[in-house]
Amino acid sequence: MVLAVKTVNLRIGYLDEEEEKIQWAVRGVDLEIQEGESFCLVGESGSGKTTLANAIAGILPPHAVTQGKVYIFDKLVVDDSSRNYNGVRGRIVNYIPQNPGTSLNPFLTIEDHFYYVLRDLYKYDKSKSKSIAIETLSKVGLTSEILDYYPHELSGGMKQRVLIALALASNARIIVADEPTSSVDASLRAGILGLLSKLNKEYRVTLIIVTHDIKMTSAICNRTAVMYSGEIVEIGKTSIILQSPKHPYTRMLMECVPILGVEKPLKPLPGEPTRIFEDISWCSFRERCPYASVECKTTPSMIPVGDDESHFVKCWRFHEVA
Amino acid sequence: MSEEVIKLERVTAGYKVVKGALSIWKQVNVVLRDISFSIGKSERLAIIGESGSGKTTLLKVILGLLKPIKGSVLLYGRDIYRIPDEEREKILRKIGYVPQDPYRSLNPVLKVKTIIGEPLEVIGENKEKIEKRVVEVARFVGLPWSALDDTPEELSGGMRQRVLIARAIIANPEILVLDEPTSALDVSIQAQILNLLNNIYSNFKPTMITVTHDLAVAQYLADRVIILKDGCIVEEGKLEEVLYNPRHEYTKTLVSSYLYTTTTNSVSGFNNKS
Ligand SMILES: Nc1ncnc2c1ncn2[C@@H]1O[C@H](COP(=O)(O)OP(=O)(O)OP(=O)(O)O)[C@@H](O)[C@H]1O
Ligand SMILES: Nc1ncnc2c1ncn2[C@@H]1O[C@H](COP(=O)(O)OP(=O)(O)O)[C@@H](O)[C@H]1O
Ligand code: SF4
Ligand SMILES: [Mg+2]
Ligand SMILES: [Mg+2]
Repeated sequence: MVLAVKTVNLRIGYLDEEEEKIQWAVRGVDLEIQEGESFCLVGESGSGKTTLANAIAGILPPHAVTQGKVYIFDKLVVDDSSRNYNGVRGRIVNYIPQNPGTSLNPFLTIEDHFYYVLRDLYKYDKSKSKSIAIETLSKVGLTSEILDYYPHELSGGMKQRVLIALALASNARIIVADEPTSSVDASLRAGILGLLSKLNKEYRVTLIIVTHDIKMTSAICNRTAVMYSGEIVEIGKTSIILQSPKHPYTRMLMECVPILGVEKPLKPLPGEPTRIFEDISWCSFRERCPYASVECKTTPSMIPVGDDESHFVKCWRFHEVA
Repeated sequence: MSEEVIKLERVTAGYKVVKGALSIWKQVNVVLRDISFSIGKSERLAIIGESGSGKTTLLKVILGLLKPIKGSVLLYGRDIYRIPDEEREKILRKIGYVPQDPYRSLNPVLKVKTIIGEPLEVIGENKEKIEKRVVEVARFVGLPWSALDDTPEELSGGMRQRVLIARAIIANPEILVLDEPTSALDVSIQAQILNLLNNIYSNFKPTMITVTHDLAVAQYLADRVIILKDGCIVEEGKLEEVLYNPRHEYTKTLVSSYLYTTTTNSVSGFNNKS
């Protein structure tokens, strides 16, 4: 098996000018994603999902501080503070942003979007890029008719498809999609998810999906990681995470999601996640955790749960989580 | 059926647009077509539809902000666009409104307590009474005391939404109108807000209209739903009826998209809809 993504003790922070401190958004993440996997990162807003995804996609802002390592296939792209995504960004890893509206250039036709991307990556000319555009647009269920359209003439769902087609056209082996359905309507959600899944299954594109909606993961992702406060606190097969979550946070996250056709009281998590500036030596979920006790004063390690070889949880007391 | 609080009769509405930069001709872009429905006292209705289907426009019509091209809008039996301004204002004061997007609908330069108290200030309530009431509703919606002296920019999305809700209920409205009250929020904050709105309903029993694009959210805030598509009502009924027995094609896709994301692991049923 080939590893598409590997991170080793990855830490990413942002310099807080006012406080003259680094706020750590990702804290010591060790992650391995195999080629051809469809992988999901879930967690509350601020948990560090986008930061981790951006580190994989090669689009961290310059003021981000990195420690540890990131490999994309065999290439070392983050080596402590040095970051080099040449030949990887846009080419091997492609990024589909949260808001399809603002990520297409309003002054370019769809055809030109393909042309500029393919010219920059592979020095293709207009006619070659056009034929690739037609081919990939058809893979995402769009016709060549839209080549002459400008972005504002397309619906949200169509823009999202164009972005996916662009990622395909650039021959990406890994697609990172940040909240891919949050700006499209509920009725279009299934279509977009199905499409991403098709790319994963038929073209073996490695898929990394970022979402705050844990329900969404079940549709297409075979493995899920739950992030809290910059750490992965639970990881495993999606079906196992959904059916027998072990981390108190994962459980609480599931209890506050409304599910259609299911009547249940919603139990929101108390409080809000804390921003972390210093290294902490205790469990970061402690303040909000109903199971917290003395042993939680030390940072838990990733413990194998035992029900499935790929299921790990960062909690000392997961046995007691009913 | 109990007393009709809101009744729309064959409402067609839209916006005047200027076609072409140099043109002096105004055209009307019709957004809502032939909309009729009514809501009884203490009923909870959800308006569901995709982006651009006209949900917010429909609320504007009810809030007295957009005069329909055709048809009438009755609040408590009075056609609000055909009565003297004074009487209309008096009726509209019975409505509390939570606008879409907590990030953009709060005046950034005002203190939170000023924003919350504004509806009472407008009707000339005295200062002490306003202050007392602001503290009361702030506590009710779960805003910390300290937030009252902040400006909205210093608050998280969930806190901003609480500010908007506090402002909407401060004058004891008989009707509560909510535009996408949770769609800008994280799931756990969404759950807090949904519980808060339920709490408001069980305490004060207002007539409630909620706009949302999420059927799962509607379950918590409504008993009856109206499905809007391209400005027309394509389906109306009890939530469970629509859920388990959708009739219109659009509603069917909508409902199945949830089943898809919640229960299946396969994509075999996937078709190339855009
Ligand atoms: N102030 C305005 N002037 C002109 N056209 C408008 C105005 N507000 C809305 N529209 C148009 O009316 C149509 C319906 O918009 P509306 O805001 O009612 O939709 P919506 O269902 O609330 O959508 P969303 O879910 O995105 O909030 C759209 O085509 C929009 O462009
Ligand atoms: N470009 C940035 N500059 C400074 N701080 C940032 C930046 N992006 C994210 N952060 C901070 O890092 C933390 C994690 O954010 P993010 O990775 O966006 O999480 P998520 O995607 O899970 O919401 C947050 O506290 C956020 O404020
Ligand atoms: S380690 Fe302790 S505080 Fe942390 S999640 Fe587990 S029980 Fe809760
Ligand atoms: Mg994010
Ligand atoms: Mg709207």
